[in-house]
Amino acid sequence: MKGKQFLTDQSILRRIFLFLFPFLILLIFAFLQILNLMVFQAEKFKTQADSNRILKEKVFPPRGLIFDTNDEIIVDNFIRQDLVVTPNFIEDYSLYLSLLSELVEIEKNTLEQVFYKKLSEIKPFQSFTLLRDLNDRQLAKVKLNFKDLPGTEINSSFSRNVVFGESSGAVIGYLGFASKQDILINPNLKNFNDQQVGLLGIEKEFDDELRGTVGYRYSEKDARGGVLDVLSVEPSTKGKNIKLSIDIELQDKLYKEFRGRKGALIAIEPDTGFIRAMISSPSYNPNFFNNFRTEEIKLLFQNKNSPLFNRAISGQYPPASTLKPFIGLVALEEDVITWQEKILDEGEFFVEGDKRPYTGWKEGGHGEVNMEKAIAESSDVYFYNIAYDLTVNSIAPFLKKFGFGKSSELFINESQGILPDKKWKLGQKGEFWFKGDTINMGIGQGYILATPLQIALAYSALINGGKLISPRIVQSIEGEETKFVSEKIEIKDIQNLEYIKESLISVVESNTGTAKNIFDPKLRIAGKTGTAQVKSILDDNKYQEIRENVLLRDHALFVGYGPVEDPSIVVVAIVENGESGSLVAAPIVQKAINLYEQ
Amino acid sequence: MSRQPLDFSLNLGIDNSRRNSVFDVWIVTSVFLLSLLGILMIYSASQSVEMALRQGIYMVFGFVVLTIISFSNFRKMEVFYLYSYWPGLFLLIIVLFFSNENNETSRWIDLGMFTIQPSELMRFLLPLSAAAFLSRKPSISNFDYLVVFVLTLLATFLVLLQPDLGTALIVLLSGILPILLGGLPWRYIYLGAFVTVCSLPLIWFSLYEYQQQRILTLFNPEADIYGAGWNIAQSKIAIGSGGFWGKGYLNGSQSQLNFIPESHSDFIFSVISEEFGLIGVLFLMFLYGLLIYRLILISIKHQNRFAKILSATLSTILLAYISINICMVIGLLPVVGMPLPFVSQGGTALIINLVTIGIILSLRRET
Repeated sequence: MKGKQFLTDQSILRRIFLFLFPFLILLIFAFLQILNLMVFQAEKFKTQADSNRILKEKVFPPRGLIFDTNDEIIVDNFIRQDLVVTPNFIEDYSLYLSLLSELVEIEKNTLEQVFYKKLSEIKPFQSFTLLRDLNDRQLAKVKLNFKDLPGTEINSSFSRNVVFGESSGAVIGYLGFASKQDILINPNLKNFNDQQVGLLGIEKEFDDELRGTVGYRYSEKDARGGVLDVLSVEPSTKGKNIKLSIDIELQDKLYKEFRGRKGALIAIEPDTGFIRAMISSPSYNPNFFNNFRTEEIKLLFQNKNSPLFNRAISGQYPPASTLKPFIGLVALEEDVITWQEKILDEGEFFVEGDKRPYTGWKEGGHGEVNMEKAIAESSDVYFYNIAYDLTVNSIAPFLKKFGFGKSSELFINESQGILPDKKWKLGQKGEFWFKGDTINMGIGQGYILATPLQIALAYSALINGGKLISPRIVQSIEGEETKFVSEKIEIKDIQNLEYIKESLISVVESNTGTAKNIFDPKLRIAGKTGTAQVKSILDDNKYQEIRENVLLRDHALFVGYGPVEDPSIVVVAIVENGESGSLVAAPIVQKAINLYEQ
Repeated sequence: MSRQPLDFSLNLGIDNSRRNSVFDVWIVTSVFLLSLLGILMIYSASQSVEMALRQGIYMVFGFVVLTIISFSNFRKMEVFYLYSYWPGLFLLIIVLFFSNENNETSRWIDLGMFTIQPSELMRFLLPLSAAAFLSRKPSISNFDYLVVFVLTLLATFLVLLQPDLGTALIVLLSGILPILLGGLPWRYIYLGAFVTVCSLPLIWFSLYEYQQQRILTLFNPEADIYGAGWNIAQSKIAIGSGGFWGKGYLNGSQSQLNFIPESHSDFIFSVISEEFGLIGVLFLMFLYGLLIYRLILISIKHQNRFAKILSATLSTILLAYISINICMVIGLLPVVGMPLPFVSQGGTALIINLVTIGIILSLRRET
């Protein structure tokens, strides 16, 4: 087959233009049509574009309500009126803000600040809330002058109201705007970027449930942003209601017991894990945050007593003598000592090769003590002895089983506490473990720290026969019960638990018990006192010096449960710088158990 | 012994001894301004910094490749160009096994970091290898034309399967143009045209219903203003309401309130019209006119057959894109899913268009 010669330049040129030609013709037609649209019909289309304003707007759902265990409402919503503007419909911002400032009687400067800040954050034709919670007078004036306020709408939205305010603050938490980082982590928040969402407490932990989902409203608007017609609505879905295990009456009364002193309280059912009261004192009124009360919020942040800090779950304290029953239990389990075996307590304990004595809290000591007496009278020397024999290698793993040193995962801002061992000390302090560290740990001092919640869980395990329970603060979500989870702790001899419980009863009921002041035969309770040292004491002179400074005084602790015959509740109370566990913390616990049992 | 470069040029008295500088300032400037305008408009249309930023990254990448290619020696590259059809075909087959989530038509291959659109790639690789194939020997046999034609039909068919009617037509065009420019005798051209016209009814019935609908809409857009005609009607309102001066950047209510469908890709011309008015449209058309003019000039001036066929084909395809896209958004042609070159959002298209320019510039090294 013979090939053909390539085309001449003229003919290829002709062909190029031949194929360009149809497209050029198309373009010419296109251009004529564009001229037609943009010049001759421009006015018609401008009118059409102006009337063409179907806006899609978000409709926010009401947040789920929160009830207490007796179905009493503790957080509800009320309707407030907000002023929403769409800047694209406003011709002269300054003129608009002047008029508005007159109507609502707010300084123009203040309005301008909010207006321009929000303007820079929105996309074209979006709207934002300029003023929140208009009062009746403002509302009436704005409505009367609506025709002079283009692009302005009054929108109803929901305000959050925490009925019991301060006393439930630590539990409920507050609302605010999600940060950009929050939105990155939880994309569900994107739709709520200009809405309040939960930032702390229950409001935060269960935000996904409480929030509900956004709906949309398609409405036709005129050129000035006024709604002509609502075309269709995709309804929002309401947030779920939550029923807490908290007894709000108990919570409120116990909060008042603290009378503003720094401290915390946890009341938990050892068999169900339900928390009936969770108190951190001083606390705050979440409504300040929920309703944008900036002045009050500023004061809260400046307050040296850190009212926003939840001491009940995040406060880390030396468990002090409240740890002794657990040290006693390990000793029994490890056969380091028997129940009846006695140790002579003369107020001091020496380690071989060290002249410095470890002193007990009572000068001269408690004499010959067995375990029951040692716990009831809180003998330090007895526990120095058995801790020394046990060594940290058997104490730390045992305490871990009772929940020390780990989070219970009730709240995300919960602290883990510190459960020290050799590895921990080397890693954190860069030092080797000394025998003295074990001796201090024997009386709950030294490096060991625990949250009130951890102490409550550990005592619950003592009483419920060795189950480490997962605490619950939510009883049901929209009627659906939360699950109870617990972990069995391995106990070699169950009788050992009974011994420990016996000695806890002696703390209150024996003549020499440290908490004998709260003995009440009508409602028998058991428990353990504790006095947590804020600063190590070297000699008596220093002690007086230290007492001068209130902030360096010892923390008072008491863990109690009752009734002794069939314990239904465990209560931990700590009063910071309260000095005496038996005189300050124990009466609060007794009151809590009494109120709960009523 | 090294191979002598092929040279079948006829001397028409155009001076070919002079080596032009590689960069045609007009071409590069217009392409640069068009891509930049694209990023601006993509931001306006999508209100997404991320989308605009991504297009910006594609643009930078595209320009780097453009620069590298424009300095390459096209005679040495011819071998690569010749075989480039096959990887393109491979990708076209592969894409049929991909399905985008909630999108029944799969046109993209998702590579995680970015996506490629094989049909876009093919409309660029096909003319490249066809031109190289047809110029590999001093003369072109009828069999050569047949080979190119069959491979073109195969590629077109694969794109139709996706289904992507608009790009399929462009792929068809990009394969047929080299044949016609290579010098296919007129009698075959007449025959082909006759067969095409006769089979039009057949083609109509093989179209999907939505494709037929789009064509019908064209003839009577007002009949179904809330259905298939809605997009075109809204697009026309956007263009018309732009008037002479436009409504200003980010101020087009049609664009900003999402009345325009696909405003960042196929309908980006409507956004430009609404926000920059007739002035903006004239500026855009001036840039395109300048670009096409300079590209055609290269094809006319060039002495090498490969270069002539390739640059004429590539610039014709560019013009086809521009005219079809604009006609589409103003309601003169059915909506077929064809982006506005350099301006519409889409990484594959932008990079391919920039590479195309790079190749044509490399041809320019020896005119």
